[in-house]
Amino acid sequence: MYLVKDLYEKHKSRLGLELVAGSSGLLRKIKIPEAHRPGLSLSGYLKGHAGHRILVFGKVEIGYLKDLTNEVRIKRLHDLLCISPNPPAIIVTRRLRPPKELHALCEELGIPLFRANTSTMNLLSKLTLLLYEEFSPSINCHGTLVEVFGVGVLIQGDSSVGKSEAALGLIERGHRLITDDIVKIRKREGEYLEGYGVELTRHHMEIRGIGIINVANLYGAVCVRDTKSIDIIVKLEVWDDQDFYDRVGIDEKFCQILGMELPYHILPVKPGRDVVLLLETIALNHRLKKMGYNSAKEFNAKLLEMIGSKQKKRIMPSEISS
Amino acid sequence: MTERIIEPTSPSLKLVQKLRVKNALGMHTRPATYIVKLLQNCKSDVTFALKKEVINAKSILSILMLAAKKHSLITVTVEGKDAQEVMDKLILAFDSGFGE
Repeated sequence: MYLVKDLYEKHKSRLGLELVAGSSGLLRKIKIPEAHRPGLSLSGYLKGHAGHRILVFGKVEIGYLKDLTNEVRIKRLHDLLCISPNPPAIIVTRRLRPPKELHALCEELGIPLFRANTSTMNLLSKLTLLLYEEFSPSINCHGTLVEVFGVGVLIQGDSSVGKSEAALGLIERGHRLITDDIVKIRKREGEYLEGYGVELTRHHMEIRGIGIINVANLYGAVCVRDTKSIDIIVKLEVWDDQDFYDRVGIDEKFCQILGMELPYHILPVKPGRDVVLLLETIALNHRLKKMGYNSAKEFNAKLLEMIGSKQKKRIMPSEISS
Repeated sequence: MTERIIEPTSPSLKLVQKLRVKNALGMHTRPATYIVKLLQNCKSDVTFALKKEVINAKSILSILMLAAKKHSLITVTVEGKDAQEVMDKLILAFDSGFGE
């Protein structure tokens, strides 16, 4: 459960928050990733007011409250804050001083009251983005995440197929490990997937015959990273003679994770095949495709052109003879 | 109580059971190695879940990541052809404190 305390501790410097009242309510839960300015609710119209949201008071709201008489101010604030469900927190922006009634009510009800030193629009947009990120879905995945030539490669496969050994080979060649065995994946900004490891086992690898090693200590800080966007997924499989493996590479396969489609490759593994070199090649090919050059498609286009020109030459001599 | 979910189209079985960690030091490296060794040759997929974290039990780092202490209740899910055999072995393992 996401608490107000988590938001405050993690993002107070980014949002410029200062806790002024209601510290007893820091353990309140934030149930939905939304924040809004009270608007009509302050004027007394509470029909349809959605609770659970963080309330943000800007210059207009504070000014409006100041213009009210004391009794009306107390009633409006009381109605707004006591409505069930309570807001999890209140933020007053532009370093404005919250009215003393608001201060007292927050202390009484145990609703954290913050002051922010940014403008209201700035705070609202930053806060909404932050909350959406914190609430974005995340899953655990069994695999190894490495960064090869700047491309985030998620290596998957059954146990003992050689994922960790492949990652070790890549690290030795200068690429980076993000995490081995457990990859936590979350969606960022609704646009891309980011993979990261658990703090306890981050940068550790388990190699059969050696044991648990800490790659960061062995190879240094240059060989590890904490997070990386996932660009492609490669599944290592034991070579099966019965299976048909992609020989051309024009039709791209995709895999869905958290609603996002990622390019997917199946790499057959057998003794004598340099898996590390193949992984590097897949990553480089992906990089090239992103730059606009698809080797397989270009080759196919040239081939079709050549076939097309041969067919024209065959037609022309027959026309001359007739 | 074991929950049995039988897939009608495939011969595999899915078993779910909650097992308690009895070791004084919790699920540290030795018990984790014991489990991984036990599951090495089994054909089924085995996952452990503790407080919303679901991990592949055939990976030692994943088990260690759970940092399960004594009395933790782990939801064990076994799915595959030899599910019953594997689940029985796991129940014995948890009960015996993983040979400690």
